Amino acid sequence: MKILIAEDETSLQESISSYLEREGNICEVASDFGEAYYKVDLYQYDVVVLDINLLNGSGLDILRKLKSGRKETAVLIISANNSLEDKLEGLNLGADDYLTKPFHLAELNSRIKAVLRRGRFGGDETIVFNQIKIDTRARTVFIKEKEVTLTKKEYDLLLFFITNRNRVLSKEIIAEHLWGDHIDLADSFDFIYVHVNNLRKKLTEEGAKYIRTAYGSGYKFTEE
Amino acid sequence: MMVLSCIGLYFVTRTILKNEIEEDLYSTENRVEHILKNHGILSSLPPVIEIRETDKIYPEYLKDTIIYDPSQDEMELFHELSTFQNINGLNYRITVRAMVVETEDILLAVVASYIGILILAFLILYYFNKSRNRNLWAPFFENLSVMKRFSLPSDFPIELKESEILEFSELNREIRTLTNKVRDDYRNLKQFTENISHEIQTPLAIIQAKVEHMMNGDGLDNQQFDHLASIQKDIHRLTNLNKKLTLLTKIDNKQFQNLEQVSIGSLVEEVVDNFRELSDAPIALKREGEPCLEMDVHLASVLCTNLIANALKHGGKKSGVQVTTGEKKLSVSNAGMEALPNPEKLFGRYYTGSRARGTGLGLALVQSICDLYGFLLSYRFEDNRHVFEVDFKPG
Repeated sequence: MKILIAEDETSLQESISSYLEREGNICEVASDFGEAYYKVDLYQYDVVVLDINLLNGSGLDILRKLKSGRKETAVLIISANNSLEDKLEGLNLGADDYLTKPFHLAELNSRIKAVLRRGRFGGDETIVFNQIKIDTRARTVFIKEKEVTLTKKEYDLLLFFITNRNRVLSKEIIAEHLWGDHIDLADSFDFIYVHVNNLRKKLTEEGAKYIRTAYGSGYKFTEE
Repeated sequence: MMVLSCIGLYFVTRTILKNEIEEDLYSTENRVEHILKNHGILSSLPPVIEIRETDKIYPEYLKDTIIYDPSQDEMELFHELSTFQNINGLNYRITVRAMVVETEDILLAVVASYIGILILAFLILYYFNKSRNRNLWAPFFENLSVMKRFSLPSDFPIELKESEILEFSELNREIRTLTNKVRDDYRNLKQFTENISHEIQTPLAIIQAKVEHMMNGDGLDNQQFDHLASIQKDIHRLTNLNKKLTLLTKIDNKQFQNLEQVSIGSLVEEVVDNFRELSDAPIALKREGEPCLEMDVHLASVLCTNLIANALKHGGKKSGVQVTTGEKKLSVSNAGMEALPNPEKLFGRYYTGSRARGTGLGLALVQSICDLYGFLLSYRFEDNRHVFEVDFKPG
């Protein structure tokens, strides 16, 4: 995948690009409005990660430019502004998703993959990881062709794990992914433990032992 | 003063009248005497003049007497002068009487005229002052209504009517300076809260990204990982605080104009379901009424979420939370040992009552939303439970 990261904070830009490159993507960066506009005009990207508040201009203008052309580019807005109106405007203009800063890189990664999976960009709606097969349209999971019944949260958790495999995920990251704004309760972390354990049990029963504990309190989905 | 002069006037009038009557009596008596001397005969004219022959001569005397007056059919007070004269060899008693104006009548007349004058003076002064004051204070009242209509968020400065009165124009000048200062401060504050979101969230995003990088780096031990996870937790807290503050500011600025019909019952059910996924605390929902309100959906959800989250956070985890919707109210309660010590501070900003770590903005948000829509938020301690209740249609 070829990804453009239009973000004027260089250190955030570097973090995003190095995280996404580890997933095997090719990342290019743009540090201001002019550079982003120029690159979007000249090259073809699969995904543009777009900051709305760019130096010298608004990311929304780049979004308009992208959507006016015939280019099949997925756009994911990252913004420091969490106002609903901005979000709606961005999505109305054709953005595929909207993420408010600060966000977890794992979350950004899973959002990008979700956007690409949607048929519009020619993505595959099924995810295969060894013997695990996930049909993201029907929200069903098969292990060795046998369907495994998961709760809604367990399904979300599995998808999040697989899209961020080989990464260490803290409970904080998982909690924010599963519950978003709702987590204001410190003890929701105990609940993560319950959900992860249930999922791990169901997978292990079918011989898929991939969820491992990392550093005592974190998790990692890995083959090793 | 008025009473004294009234009394004085009464006595003066009475004396004058009395003197006049006496003078009149004497002159009438003289005339009668004169006629008797010259013509020798004069019949009586009762009750005014009475002439009688007597055998002896007595000294003259003056007295008051009450006589029945047949023409008016009532008893009247008369002043009477009787003299005894020897005219042409005969002894006569000549009695002349004059009707006396009764004391009560004088008093009444005096008091009545006084009251009349007073009322007249009062009325004239009242209308005179009123019309004068109206003209004089017109610019003041006009400016007062301008000030009442003045709203801080508006983009226009206050427009006051000029006045020729020195004090008023001075007042106008001060009001103008004051409102301009307040408007500037308000704009700056608004600008600040709008900017802070961007200014704080971007560095937070960078910190967050770096922390995640470190988590995936090599050579980390468990303790370091825990530190990093705890940093993530605090970043989340800061983000939450920031979000709530921006939301509060937006509510205060009345930026939520998107009204819809919101069914509180089903909204609460949705929120409760969300919480059930998040916590194993028992949440009991009783839908006794189905209030339907015209408000912003997002704010309605914030209202319900914060009320329930508050109950869960403060002791509702073990004993559970009871959520009840009524015809026009929503109440959320959790068990407690005793009433909270500072109920008036509960709905203020940054007030955290117990050890529970929160932003201290949850209930402030609820209060803000209630203020915006005219709901009444109240706290009471009842049957060993803390009850928070929102009355959607108070009064």
